[in-house]
Amino acid sequence: MAQSVLKVVDIKKSFAGVQALKGVSLEIKAGEIHCLAGENGSGKSTLIKIISGVYTPDEGQIIFGDKVYSKITPIEAIRNGIQVIYQDFSIFPNLSVMENLAFNEELANKRKLVNRKRMKKIAQEALAKINFDVDLNAKVGSLSVASKQLIAICRALMLNARLIIMDEPTTALTRKEVNALFNIILDLKKQGIATLFVSHKLDEVFEISERFTILRNGEKAAEGFTSELDNKKFTYYMTGREFEDKPFVPTNVSEDPVLSVENLSMNGFYENVNFSLHRGEILGITGLLGSGRTELALSLFGIMQADTGTIKIDGEPVKLDSPETAINHGIGYVPEDRLTEGLFLPQSIGDNIIVSELDKLSSRLGIIDRDKKKEEIRQWVDKLSIATPNPDNACSTLSGGNQQRVVLAKWLSRDLKVLVLNGPTMGVDIGSKHDIHQILRRLAEQGLGIIIISDDIPEILTNCSKILIMRNGRISAALTPDEADTQVLARYMM
Amino acid sequence: MNRIMKNLMQRNEFYISIAIVALSIAIQLRSGQFFTSNNIVDLLSALIVPGLFALGAFMVIVSGGVDVSFPALASLSMYATTRILVDTNYQGGILLPIVMSLCFGAILGAVNGVLIATFKLPPLIVTLGTSSVFKGIMQGVLNAVQITVIPPGMSSFGTAALFIATNPQSGLTSRMPVAFLALVIVLLIVYFVLQHTMYGRGLYAIGGNEVSAYRAGFNVWLIKFLLYVGVGMISSLAGLIRVCMMTQAHPTNMLGMEMMVIAGVVLGGTAITGGSGTLTGCMLGTILLVMVENSLILLGVPTFWQGFFLGVFIIVGMGISALQVSRAIKARGALTRRVQQ
Amino acid sequence: MRRTLAFVLVLLMVFSMAACSSPAGKSKKSESEWEIVVVPKDASNPWFIRMEVGVKEFAKETGLNVYQKGTPEIDATLQSQLIQDLIAAKVDAICVVPVDPGSLEPVLKQARDAGIVVIAHEGASLKNVDYDIEAFNNEQYGAFIMDNLAEAMGEEGLYTTMVAHVTNASHNEWADGGVKHQKEKYPNMKLLEEEPRVESEDNGDVAYQKAKELFKKYPDLKGIMGTSSYDAPGIARAIQELGLVGKAFTSGTGMPAANAELLKSGIVKSLTLWDPALAGKAMCALAVKVLRGEEIKDHLDLSVEGYTDLTFKEGSTTVLEGKGWIVITAENVDSFGF
Repeated sequence: MAQSVLKVVDIKKSFAGVQALKGVSLEIKAGEIHCLAGENGSGKSTLIKIISGVYTPDEGQIIFGDKVYSKITPIEAIRNGIQVIYQDFSIFPNLSVMENLAFNEELANKRKLVNRKRMKKIAQEALAKINFDVDLNAKVGSLSVASKQLIAICRALMLNARLIIMDEPTTALTRKEVNALFNIILDLKKQGIATLFVSHKLDEVFEISERFTILRNGEKAAEGFTSELDNKKFTYYMTGREFEDKPFVPTNVSEDPVLSVENLSMNGFYENVNFSLHRGEILGITGLLGSGRTELALSLFGIMQADTGTIKIDGEPVKLDSPETAINHGIGYVPEDRLTEGLFLPQSIGDNIIVSELDKLSSRLGIIDRDKKKEEIRQWVDKLSIATPNPDNACSTLSGGNQQRVVLAKWLSRDLKVLVLNGPTMGVDIGSKHDIHQILRRLAEQGLGIIIISDDIPEILTNCSKILIMRNGRISAALTPDEADTQVLARYMM
Repeated sequence: MNRIMKNLMQRNEFYISIAIVALSIAIQLRSGQFFTSNNIVDLLSALIVPGLFALGAFMVIVSGGVDVSFPALASLSMYATTRILVDTNYQGGILLPIVMSLCFGAILGAVNGVLIATFKLPPLIVTLGTSSVFKGIMQGVLNAVQITVIPPGMSSFGTAALFIATNPQSGLTSRMPVAFLALVIVLLIVYFVLQHTMYGRGLYAIGGNEVSAYRAGFNVWLIKFLLYVGVGMISSLAGLIRVCMMTQAHPTNMLGMEMMVIAGVVLGGTAITGGSGTLTGCMLGTILLVMVENSLILLGVPTFWQGFFLGVFIIVGMGISALQVSRAIKARGALTRRVQQ
Repeated sequence: MRRTLAFVLVLLMVFSMAACSSPAGKSKKSESEWEIVVVPKDASNPWFIRMEVGVKEFAKETGLNVYQKGTPEIDATLQSQLIQDLIAAKVDAICVVPVDPGSLEPVLKQARDAGIVVIAHEGASLKNVDYDIEAFNNEQYGAFIMDNLAEAMGEEGLYTTMVAHVTNASHNEWADGGVKHQKEKYPNMKLLEEEPRVESEDNGDVAYQKAKELFKKYPDLKGIMGTSSYDAPGIARAIQELGLVGKAFTSGTGMPAANAELLKSGIVKSLTLWDPALAGKAMCALAVKVLRGEEIKDHLDLSVEGYTDLTFKEGSTTVLEGKGWIVITAENVDSFGF
């Protein structure tokens, strides 16, 4: 049995009376790849902050080897070989790779003057640890997300790390980059460095980790070897609920297509795209980042314009040159980044829901009928079971999944024919994700045509009745879910 | 060679330099006076005060803040210095006035520093506030009025010349003030601090990402506090030099300079969001604005149109640099897309 | 018969109305409750500090509640805000030296609508005032500055004019007057047509920079007629630095103490001036007369030196002009006490 690098015992922590951790224990052994999973608010980030010394626990012990602490400072955590790679990587986008890598050590040595030679040497040594090849003088901001992450990893390794904690490291990475990252994690394992991998994506948990700990509501819901875990158990431990993932079978498909796209091309982004969507169907479009899927979605909503080809709504060719015309033709769009594109976060939940139907709720003089407005908001909050004590609260108080529901409500309050969703469950908890899928299915059954654009392959496979795969701007395959599985999709994507 | 060219083309300094050359030629064509020794000396002499202000503003912007209080700070500290020395009938040299104004500058800068670094208040709001407070102290407490006769040591420093440039054709002479050395010295110090000390790199780091800077081990509080103290000192020095050169102290006629100075710094390619920008760009941007401001008559812009012209010039200048930046971002986006395919 | 009756009735009405508006004084309060405020362009310019001396003297002599209140910097917006505050405070009279007459009109209208007496100084173009008081006829004063400049220039050569802002009423009237006077009296002098008027923005440094540019671009330029009190000293600094002493000249308004050295060193031969203290005093005296409901007509005597025989400007019923100008030279500069 390998020696443990870190052990926390019975940690308790509360914030303003709310118990965030109710006695959690965790042990990580040298060279182990351990996954810490849990939904938002389950206490994972609190636990990590306690391990890295940012928070002090109310009760419990933190043990490094044979040293027992009841609380630690960030510096002590670092001295004991704990390194955290935050989601924002804690990098300086405006500075060079060299400076990003060398600052920590230079500052730790209390250097006052800049010595570029020495900094270059430090940086080179750091990059060598994972054989990462990058221009030392490049500005970090100009690098890809994956490279930024590698720089953060190199920097963590420099300070004799024994445990690297990665907070949701795969969120912004493409599949290829995720593979590269996993190889590095395995490489670190060989060097005896343990990784604590924080995630809520189950396929990743299965792929990389040896052991797992799942938190729910501040308590440990389960721990064990990943090999003993399956999909259903994982979901159960995470949410405390059981879900059945039945594939979607459309029941109410219209005879004529509601939307058809013929020979649509946009120079440099996609070409010769053909497909049709019937009412009652859920069409999935997938592909790698840069395959043209996002641009295609934006063209369907009039934000970008195709150069050639036709888009028909109910058999009539239409020209979608702005979101306004798209909306007038009955097309709705839920953007990839709902936070910046879809919602007015500081405004109330209610106002966000009814923003697109204000004309319907106001009198001829343009004055809003308050009772009507209240009733309308209440209806949507109920229909989509948005979890809020009061719809007058700001939208920013909601969790990701609930915000996504508000975006949906905003669109559904209009009479839509087609709803295009770009990455509808990105960054959303499993529970909420499931609920959103159920809502989408119900909507399809009510006769809405739905397009889901996503790189979450299981999501596409279980929820869509037709699947298009895009590669380099072209449709490389059009399949039905029973013809496809993860491997098939991946083959057409790469 | 090609690569060097391409590299150059991506740099804001390159465009500013072209603009400066183009403007010089335009002024030369319109007046025949630009490339004369005394005109160049006149411009350099007009650059001293805005140049010093710009160095301070530049460092603050690099750190991710913005300071609009420096004209008020400089006015108050130069006024207090001059007032005290006049009232005590000071007859000595320039050293004491400089030391005094640096002390006042440090104290006033420390006020900004404490509010911004310790209480973590937004720099724009803080400096708008302290700007009013400084003006208020001048008006209310010191009851500031124009001081028309300043101590002899100050006026002789202000009118002392390094050399005198004579235009052989017109016989006009211009003096290169000794005070120009102050700009050169401060420029060198700022350059050294920004490029060769961990403190200076810390300013860039904070401007890039303050949380990361804290996590990396920079003493964010100290860096910010010292920044505002330093900027206060530089601004005060500029204020004092202005008094010496004009041989009179007017309490309010520097107010309002902040916009031109910040415009010059931003024109030079310093990102207003912090973290990026070069000293070269900062100085070139300032030079460009000082040139425009002091060449409108040489250019033959009618009096009625001067304000308009200046405004349009700033908007176009900023527009071009903004365009360059967005183009660079787009180009980068296209590149990563190609790489991924 | 009916016609006669109608005529009589009309006559009666006219008389009764006239009776109602008979001059019973503008204020219902007693004199000791009056509040008269003088609003200068700013509070730090020595010019207006001198004005305050006169205002305080007036307050002391009359025992009335008269005081001066200025904005921290020269700014048209701040000035109109200050006046709005005074309206809200229900003062009885406002004496104002406008920064930008045009933009002040709406506020002054509010003041008058609120029953406040408005007296202006250096604002001959203002419409919403009871009276505007000028130390002198602007055109005549401009001619007077021109006489001084012409004398320095030897009555020949190229010259131009400098004002604080091209929107400043008095400065431009002086400059216009000076130019007109030159055309009539000094045929050997010539206005620089390319730049007939430049702005100093009431800032000595700007005046200095602009003068330098002018002398560089126009080598034949021999004189600059200044108007604002910052102009001539700034121009003189440029003349001195460019090595043009004795070759180029300036004249304009200036305070004695601030310019003693310039005058004594001979860079500037003479400056012209009126005493702002007396102007301030005259404004207050006029305000009191209006508040008392006294009749204001030609040859008005305000019992203030230089303002003992005020006459209405030609064609105007609001602008009153005195004869308050003085010239200061190296010889008399020390005799003014300010």
